Amino acid sequence: MSAPPAIVSQPVGLLGEMELLLRNRFRFFAEIRDGVDVPRKIRAMFLYSSLFLATFGAVIGSEHSVWQALASSVKLPLLFLITLLVCLPTLYFFNTIFQASLSLSQNLALLLSAVTMTAIVLLAFAPVTLFFLMTTSQYQFYKLLNVAIFAIAGWIGMRQLSQGMLMLTAHERRGARIRGRILQVWILLYAFVGSQLAWTLRPFFGAPGLPFELFRGLGGNFYTNIFASLGELFGFFTVR
Amino acid sequence: MLREVLARQAAQMGLRPEAEASQPESPTPIQPAAQQMPAPPPTATQLEPPKTPLAPAEFQETEDPLSPAEARELAEFNQWAAQVVAPSRLPRTLTWFMLGVLGLLVLLNIPLFNGLALARALPDRQAFIIRDGLVLKGSGPEIYVLEDNTKRWISSLDAFEHYGYQWNDVHLVEDDFLNQFPDGRPLHVLLKCGASPHIYRLENDRKRWIKDIPTFEAEGHLWEDVRFVSCAHLRTIPDGPPIPPDAGSPPQP
Repeated sequence: MSAPPAIVSQPVGLLGEMELLLRNRFRFFAEIRDGVDVPRKIRAMFLYSSLFLATFGAVIGSEHSVWQALASSVKLPLLFLITLLVCLPTLYFFNTIFQASLSLSQNLALLLSAVTMTAIVLLAFAPVTLFFLMTTSQYQFYKLLNVAIFAIAGWIGMRQLSQGMLMLTAHERRGARIRGRILQVWILLYAFVGSQLAWTLRPFFGAPGLPFELFRGLGGNFYTNIFASLGELFGFFTVR
Repeated sequence: MLREVLARQAAQMGLRPEAEASQPESPTPIQPAAQQMPAPPPTATQLEPPKTPLAPAEFQETEDPLSPAEARELAEFNQWAAQVVAPSRLPRTLTWFMLGVLGLLVLLNIPLFNGLALARALPDRQAFIIRDGLVLKGSGPEIYVLEDNTKRWISSLDAFEHYGYQWNDVHLVEDDFLNQFPDGRPLHVLLKCGASPHIYRLENDRKRWIKDIPTFEAEGHLWEDVRFVSCAHLRTIPDGPPIPPDAGSPPQP
C-alpha cells in the first residue's frame, strides 16, 4: 500500500498542539506519523494532561478535605503517567516484532494523546462532579459516579488510540492483523495495570469519617471494592 | 546464404541445423562450466545471498489487506488530516475553563460556614463508612465507639482521652441509627503493672482498685481490656474509692 502524502507542519505553540489534538486529531496523528515536531507534541501533551488531571484530582479529593484534594491532584497525574510508562515498552516491542516501523517516541506520542484526551474529558466532567459533590450525601454513589466518569473518559481515550494506530501503521500491512489483536489485548492490559495502580495509590476520594491518609494500607482490590460499593448503593449490604 | 537462412529457421524451431551437426564443432570460447573446471572465487559484487529454504507459510507475516471498514475509515481520516486547522478561540476557552474550575474549587474549600467549607458543610452530608473505631453520639450524653458490630459506651473522659479519641471524631447520628447496634462492653481504662497482681480502673484521674477476679468479671471486664503500664507510673496516680467501695484500703502496686 502506498504511503499517504506527508503533512506540512504549521508553526504553533504548546497550546496550539492541544488545539490541533482537539479540533483535528487526524492531522495530529498524521504529523506524528511523519515525524513532525514529535518532541514538542510530547512536551505539550505531558504538560497539559498533567494539569488537567491535577485539576480533576483536586475536585474529587475536596470531597474529603483540603489535604485530600492536594494529595489527589498529585496522585491522579502520577496514576496515568506511571501506567503509561509501565505499559509502553510492551506496545513498542510487540509492534516492532510484528513489522511496524514506529519509533519509541512515536509510540509515546500516540499513547500520550490518548491520555491527554482522557484528561480533557475528565476536565469537562469536573462541573458535574462538583455539582454532585455539593448535592449528594451518599459517599458510595459519589464514588461510583466518578468511576463511571473515569470509564467514559478512558473509553474515549482508547478509541482515539485505536484510530491513531490505524493512521500511523496503515501503510505497513505486513503483520497488521496481528498488531490489531495485540493492541486490543494491550488496552485490556493497560486497564488492568491502571486499576491495580489506582488501588495501590488510594485514597483519591477519601472516605468520610476516616482521617486523611496519603496512602491506605494494601488489602482487597479495586474490583471487590467497586462490587461492595454497588452492593451498598442498592441496599444489599453495608460496606465496613 | 542458404545455410544462414536454414540456421535461422532451425533456431526459430528450436532445432540444431544439420550443417552444424555434421561439422565438427568449431572451437568455441571456453565457457566455464561448474562440472568441468573450478569456478573462480566470487568477488564481493558477484556474491548473491544464499538461497535458504522458505519458512513454512504460517510463520511468514503476510500483507494483511485493509478491511472495507478500515479502508473507509482511513480514507476519512486522511481527508480530515489534509484539512488545515485555522486558529480559533479554543485555547483561550480551555484556559479560562480550567481557571474557572480551579477558582470554584478554591471557593468551595474556603471555610465560610462556622469553620467548615461548603464542600463539606451541607447538613445532610452525614454519610460515613461503618467501621470499627467509629465514634458516635446520639441525642443523649453517652458516646459510643463501634467494635465488632456492637456499640461500646466510653465510660469516662479518661477513657475517651486514654484511647486517643478527639471531639472531631465524634459523629452525631439519629438514635434510630444508634439503636441498630447492640450494646457491647463499656470502654474503661484498666491498668496493671507486671510486678503487681492488682488491677485498677482509671476514673477521674484516680485509680480504683478492683478487689478480686469475681468483682472484675461482675463489672463486665475482660482480660483483653487490661493495659500494662509501669509500676512507677501506676504509683503516681492517686487512689480513688475501691470496687466495691467496702473492699478496704487499696494496696499499692
